[in-house]
Amino acid sequence: MHHAYLDKYADGDSFFHHLDSRVKFLAAVVYTILVLSLPRDHPAVVVCYAVAPFAVLVWAGIPLWFVLRRILMVSPFVLVLALSCPLYDKTPYPVVFGKISFWLTGGWLRCFTILAKFVVTMLTLFALVGTTRFADLLAGLQWMRFPDVLVMQLGFLYRYLFVLVDQVHHILLARSARKFHPLGFRREMKIAAAMTGSLFIRSIETSQRIHIAMQSRGFTGTFHSLRHTRIVLRDIIFLLGFLAVCVLLHGWVRHIFM
Amino acid sequence: MNFAVEIQNFSYSWPDGTKALRQINLTIEHGQKVVLVGPNGAGKSTLLLAMGGFVRGTGKILIDGIEVCPANVKKIRMLLGCCMENPDDQLFMPTLYEDVAFGPLNMGLGAEEVKRRVEDSLRKVGLEAMAHKTPHHLSAGQKRAAAVATVLSMSPKIITFDEPDGGLDPRNRNNLVRLLRELSQTLIIATCDMRFAAAVADRAVVMDNSCIVADGPVAEIFYNGELMASHGLETP
Repeated sequence: MHHAYLDKYADGDSFFHHLDSRVKFLAAVVYTILVLSLPRDHPAVVVCYAVAPFAVLVWAGIPLWFVLRRILMVSPFVLVLALSCPLYDKTPYPVVFGKISFWLTGGWLRCFTILAKFVVTMLTLFALVGTTRFADLLAGLQWMRFPDVLVMQLGFLYRYLFVLVDQVHHILLARSARKFHPLGFRREMKIAAAMTGSLFIRSIETSQRIHIAMQSRGFTGTFHSLRHTRIVLRDIIFLLGFLAVCVLLHGWVRHIFM
Repeated sequence: MNFAVEIQNFSYSWPDGTKALRQINLTIEHGQKVVLVGPNGAGKSTLLLAMGGFVRGTGKILIDGIEVCPANVKKIRMLLGCCMENPDDQLFMPTLYEDVAFGPLNMGLGAEEVKRRVEDSLRKVGLEAMAHKTPHHLSAGQKRAAAVATVLSMSPKIITFDEPDGGLDPRNRNNLVRLLRELSQTLIIATCDMRFAAAVADRAVVMDNSCIVADGPVAEIFYNGELMASHGLETP
């Protein structure tokens, strides 16, 4: 089976690929907080913040269609939230683009801001995972004293999500092979429930076998790691550049638009 | 005499009362390559789990002279390495390198020693170039070899394999046979594939209906057509 790996391009050779995962993670978190803290009725300001992650993706050679497709995949959840805004805030606001001016309700402005913040934070996230191997990211989190259980869970999620997706494909294939015509909503729901239950049971059995495999190799609850990463000049240059971009955006762009 | 494995009157029942192992008596000498053969549900995998201390029944199991009991679990796990049936269960770390290092790190070895063992083990199974790959990027044959490396890095005296040939094409199966033949450890391999069993082992133990029904040299057991057929098995 073929899967759409999140870190498919993480083995690249760009400047950003060689940065320490901790530095990239911290930069992504700070940038996300900056974007989320922007005022809720200024979508134009938020759009300016897209420049930095966009530049990183282009420089790192990560195809934009790859990122945009994944953003579209998760967008329905945010779309529902954003599109509900115009329903409850009808306060009119003037919008001016040079000589063009028109009125929009506060709800629509908030809707655009939410969508813009979503796209910018997702671009930031993809700039991080697109240039960092997941294993390095986990090692960075472990170094930063994130709870072991959380790091372990993320590692298992990444490792076994693909196995689970394979099982889903096999179950769907088996169903298709024996289903010759539509069975009606109730039958289909019943079959879907049985398939989901079967997946749950398989997952529990798999977790039991993994636990045995871990115990057989001496695991007693603590993860040990061999990784010893170092912050080098490249990382410091990136951090200084990142700080400069943040100051520029936070001061200059806000000053112009607000 | 100190045997690699010594099992005395061992019985085990599943929580629902089904007998999984009945009065098992078995001794395996150091350096022997033994296959456990038998039909599905004969108790082969359960016996391997019992040797590793993962299921506890009545009777006694000694690994290199040490009794399998909760107090000795750590010693037993350092002496006996388990290779699971599905390599996806065995390879749970984000990269192959970390997976092979998992056991030695838990043994409390120093970083340099762990690195040496990881590199040696990966070289032995021919996967040194894949060290930093994630396990889901490996082929079925590579996953199987990687699973062997995760156990080899712990340098156990005894290694158990549960259906190691499952899902392998002839080329990968031959590679696995070559690898297992080269290992100096005591090997206990549960399998249903008689050709594979005949190629890797010197001694065969036939299990059926939760009991050991025959035990002897591979050549003697596997070419006894009547015995094999009576337990639902075929000759190689």
